Amino acid sequence: MSRVELKNVWKIYPRGNVIGVKDLTFTCEDKEFLAIVGPSGSGKSSTLRMLAGLEEITRGEILFDGKVVNDLDPAQRNVALAFESYALYHRLNVYENIAFPLRARGMKGAQVDKKVKEVAELLGLTSVLKKYPSSLPGGLQQRVSLARALVRKPNLTLLDEPISHADQRVRHELRARIRRLHDDLGLTTIYVTHDQAEAIALCDRLVVMYQAELQQIGTVEEIWNRPANRFVAYFIGEPAMNFIEGQVEDLQTVFIPTPGGKRSFKFKGEIDPKYVGAKITIGVRPQQISVYRNKKEENTIAGSVRIIEFQGDKTVLTVDLADENKTQAKAVVPAREKFNKGDTIWFHFAPEIIHLFDGDTPIIKR
Amino acid sequence: MAEVRLENVVKLYGKKRAVKGVSFTCKEGEFFSILGPTGAGKTTILKMIAGIEDITSGKIYFNGHVVNELPPQERNVSMAFESYNLYPHMSVYDNIAFPLRAPRWGLKLSPQEERKRVEEIANFLGIGDLLERLPQHLSGGQKQRVSLARALVRKAEVYLLDEPIAHLDARLKFSTQTLLKEFAHNYKSTIIYVTHDFREALALSDRMVVLRKGLIEQEGTPEDIYYRPASDFVGRLVGDPPMNLIDGEIITKDGKTFFKTGDFSIRVKDELVESMEKAKREENGRTLTRLGIRPEHIKLSRNKISDDSFQLPIYTIVHEAESSVVSFELEDTFLYVRTEGFCDYEESEKVWLEFDQNHMFFYKKTVEISK
Repeated sequence: MSRVELKNVWKIYPRGNVIGVKDLTFTCEDKEFLAIVGPSGSGKSSTLRMLAGLEEITRGEILFDGKVVNDLDPAQRNVALAFESYALYHRLNVYENIAFPLRARGMKGAQVDKKVKEVAELLGLTSVLKKYPSSLPGGLQQRVSLARALVRKPNLTLLDEPISHADQRVRHELRARIRRLHDDLGLTTIYVTHDQAEAIALCDRLVVMYQAELQQIGTVEEIWNRPANRFVAYFIGEPAMNFIEGQVEDLQTVFIPTPGGKRSFKFKGEIDPKYVGAKITIGVRPQQISVYRNKKEENTIAGSVRIIEFQGDKTVLTVDLADENKTQAKAVVPAREKFNKGDTIWFHFAPEIIHLFDGDTPIIKR
Repeated sequence: MAEVRLENVVKLYGKKRAVKGVSFTCKEGEFFSILGPTGAGKTTILKMIAGIEDITSGKIYFNGHVVNELPPQERNVSMAFESYNLYPHMSVYDNIAFPLRAPRWGLKLSPQEERKRVEEIANFLGIGDLLERLPQHLSGGQKQRVSLARALVRKAEVYLLDEPIAHLDARLKFSTQTLLKEFAHNYKSTIIYVTHDFREALALSDRMVVLRKGLIEQEGTPEDIYYRPASDFVGRLVGDPPMNLIDGEIITKDGKTFFKTGDFSIRVKDELVESMEKAKREENGRTLTRLGIRPEHIKLSRNKISDDSFQLPIYTIVHEAESSVVSFELEDTFLYVRTEGFCDYEESEKVWLEFDQNHMFFYKKTVEISK
């Protein structure tokens, strides 16, 4: 269990001079659970491979507990790696699969037994130790793979999309088990995924990458409420943040032009006076919008319900707003509220949920 | 547009019964989903409706006429397969235009008219800039949308869509789902839709069936399926997290009925006792039943909520946007509770739980729930 630092790390692939990772700097504290999230091509997998020692670092340094590990091989770094594909030894039973990394390092007898049983207990594998991997369902195989990765108390645990293809029920159980295991064993974990929901579920802090670069690092709450740029605002959250074209009226107000005149919105926070009169983009999360059936004056805009998608505990409405661009916007409403296609409704944006962007840049200081 | 009716349809592959007697009606203009796990027989049903697979017994009707003997091209259906089935030597444009050129439909579109139709559906699905490419130069998600565009480009009596968005990444999946719903609204098309993903089925369908090993387990609106699952199987297939299923003992004492497990005991309100009795089973001399409750119908608090509440230690907490899922480890399963907003409970902390008995169900045991 270590503190892991990346200092100005670059990965440049010689073929075609492709930049995989660009000047990446962040720290994963001891016992922290970090998730690196980004779309494909964002550099997250290259970062993972450099941390694991599977790929050379072109420039910069990776440090474990203050010591540079650039030139150490994967075994010397003592990094545990669990992939989505289980890669278990099918000719060995579950016990021997888990014991494998210990035996490979010369550990013997009672010591191996103690460690295998300890980790098996934590992952609920005690009853299947004698079985062979191929006789187990996918969820259990995944747990065996995790147990094998974690049995030798690694300095750093790297998880590469380990649960993205599990079914609903298994996924929730694995999520819970991974989080609990991390806490019980005091691990330092870095989890790489393209799935923002998975990342949000498990991590203490989130590292958002895009086009080989770090976009933002922070707690889920920070990233949710104070995204560093428009990409982060859009990428984190499903359904994604709505963007509506507007203009700054004064230091506390923006407006959205509509064929029936301006709709004004008070926002919370401060902006630079130079933006007064400027055209900007208003961002609002679908999960934070209040929806009314009757006209309200303050901070509202009308819309017409276009599509209704029931999701069980909630419903997602897609609405044609009454602004000049007829922007399509989404809102998440409780499932007990019934709407019909063509209903006129009012979206209310509370001052604290309003984000403002000048191009990619957020302009409200909070 | 057509109404499609299945009457006791059976499909045998040798001795294996893939579909064991399925009946349902998809009304004209309806979006009708078949939801089920892998191997339930979903695709087989779709292929029988399309005419690609023979029907072993039973009848399929289009607008009241039996179509059992009609070959696929006589049925006027349009189908998208999960496995894309694109013509590798044709451009995306030609792949999408293919059904418009089939002599069978006698459309005889002018090149301009054809281009208009192809571009319209391609732009709608966000692949308008890929028209000149060959399939081999597309990602899986792009191929899937081309396959979907090809299925939707021609007006058909019935659209049969088999997992048409399964291979899209999460973001694209949700947006394409919205587009499909819009397509269905705009064209009032009859659509039969096969999926293993309950979210798609709930969001898209007017009505749906849940299929299990070749038989219909439940038929209804998405609300019926979500709020009133007919069995533990349906409850577990639908929901995120799925419905909690807990096995326990029925105890009667002083005229009161209790549901008791190794972890907790609750009094069951009188209105539910009858349904509980119907779902009882005997095991090793004990009277057991299975309780089902959705994660959002359980209340959590640091303080005692009521006499019906009980305490459990938290296993762990995972967060979602604007909500949290708190898990508890029970003797034979995990229990999940969804809370609104970010919650500040801690691992191992003991908290009070209360089940909302208006949303509590009792089931016979038909699925395994072990951890």
